Amino acid sequence: MNLHATALIADDEPLLRDALRRQLGTVWPELEIVAEARNGREAVRLFDERHPDICFLDVHMPGLSGVDAASHIGRRAHLVFVTAYDHYAVQAFAQGALDYLLKPVEQARLAETVSRLKERLQSSRPAINTEQLLQQLSEQLAKLQGGGKSEALRWIRAQAGKTVRLIAIDDVDYLRSDAKYTIVAWRDGGKPAEAVVRTPLKELLEQLDAEQFAQVHRSVVVNLRAISHVKRHDNETAEIHVKGRDDVLPVSRNYLHLFRQM
Amino acid sequence: MSELGMTPKPDGVIAKTSRRVAVALTMSVGVGLLMMYGWSSSPSALFLRTSILGLSATAAFAVFEAWPRSLPRWLERWALQVVAVGVFMPMTTLLIYALSTPPGAAPFWEVPARLDGWTHLTFAGLLLAPWTALATIVRQKEAFARDQKLAFALERSELEREALDARLHLLQAQVAPHFLFNTLANVQALVDAGSPHASAVLRSLTAYLRAVVPLLHEPAATIERELQLVRPYLELMQMRMPDRLQYAMNVDPSALKVRCPPTTLLTLVENAVRHGIDLSEEGGRIDIDIDRRAERCVIRVTDTGVGLHQSAHGLGTGLTTLRERLQLIFGDTAQLRVTSGAPRGVAVEVDMPAQT
Repeated sequence: MNLHATALIADDEPLLRDALRRQLGTVWPELEIVAEARNGREAVRLFDERHPDICFLDVHMPGLSGVDAASHIGRRAHLVFVTAYDHYAVQAFAQGALDYLLKPVEQARLAETVSRLKERLQSSRPAINTEQLLQQLSEQLAKLQGGGKSEALRWIRAQAGKTVRLIAIDDVDYLRSDAKYTIVAWRDGGKPAEAVVRTPLKELLEQLDAEQFAQVHRSVVVNLRAISHVKRHDNETAEIHVKGRDDVLPVSRNYLHLFRQM
Repeated sequence: MSELGMTPKPDGVIAKTSRRVAVALTMSVGVGLLMMYGWSSSPSALFLRTSILGLSATAAFAVFEAWPRSLPRWLERWALQVVAVGVFMPMTTLLIYALSTPPGAAPFWEVPARLDGWTHLTFAGLLLAPWTALATIVRQKEAFARDQKLAFALERSELEREALDARLHLLQAQVAPHFLFNTLANVQALVDAGSPHASAVLRSLTAYLRAVVPLLHEPAATIERELQLVRPYLELMQMRMPDRLQYAMNVDPSALKVRCPPTTLLTLVENAVRHGIDLSEEGGRIDIDIDRRAERCVIRVTDTGVGLHQSAHGLGTGLTTLRERLQLIFGDTAQLRVTSGAPRGVAVEVDMPAQT
């Protein structure tokens, strides 16, 4: 029986699109490639136009990724993910029993995938990529690859006039909340400088390394390495003097225990 | 915190004290043995006296080691200790003899034998105790210097280890499997298609690997070496995304011999490609400007990619490690600045001393 099927190839690298098209031409000459997309968004648009039976989606694409595009396509097509080397993605595909190819694509492996796809098309079995599965995959990847949420903050994005500047967290002397903003006191090549960020102090504190930064007052978080000395007062409060600055920071009673041994 | 650090550990105090007492008692016994000759009363009284003298010298030494807590500028702690020990000797001897005189008996200076003993003991004490104190101080200073040297060595090796870690980390990132396999997939595609470009791409890949692998063994590179690494990298990336990546280099020839941490330039360029261009559907342009201004060298890599707002996470590792390595080598004299480009994209600038 001669099966007529259509396919879409999405990859941001033109050479790799050509290569897959050529390899498919050898392994499955009857397959008609009806669309080639350069990114996830184009893949979604072309899918909606051409409704191919099969989509080959590169995982790593600018804008919308292959997994994002897959969530849009859902069960309306059989999906094959393509990736160069992505431990996490491969792990996730294997768990979901989803089809995937590794670049450079091996002919034998492609032939296996193709025979599986043919089988599914012939038996008109629905695509295995249920929305639930794709949703899971997307979340899993975001969690595994992103990972950055729990990681300590390394740069603070600060606005200075029209430009945005990244301030390395090690250069920060202290943070002080001021009405709607947070003032970042930092060192620009050794010289004291100040910048303003919109992120609330509380939110920044959550992302900071607790070994390096300590909250000493409701509105002050200080880099412990920037402290020159701490002066205690009789009324159960204290003040922090910052290295190379005239600034004096308040320590409130609740945080005084941090400096008990000093 | 510093006060806490200065307080010696309890077991250290016990060890130090018992060592001092042992030295004092040994010397007391030694002096006693020498004085046996010509001593008329019982030997036990003699040894008791020398021991009391030795211990009181030790006590004086220990007391003035910590008290008073602050000294006037002109008075050195060690001088105070030596003088105190010297003053304690005749005083203690005087006290011993005054107290050991039975009530009603003649004062000791009127009994020739006792006066003789007192003179001998005072003389021996004055002769020996301050010198012993001095010797102890010298030994302590030496031990302190040794400790400090050890601490410095430890710190240095720690820094070296950190530098090595950073380099290894970087190397792993540079020969990242994702980059390699993707590039190999491109090479294979060209070969399969019988493309005349295949050989050029393989040459770029070879040049890149040849430049990146030896970096593991080198503590420093030069701008020239960095360019040998960055050129094939950009050639490969441009082959992979011909419609999305443009680049230009503007290198001051006098900067070529300037030394920098290995993969400095590559880190900047790779950051621009991965977090700027690669995330953008329409791609962009990368400009590399390297200038030497007298004693400074400024490397500036600008891209017109998605910019800081969209590449929220991920900007981290490469630039953070580079920043740490610059700090390790140049301290505060090198800076890494990240600013948003206009109208979009990112500009990263490394400003460092131009060492050749």
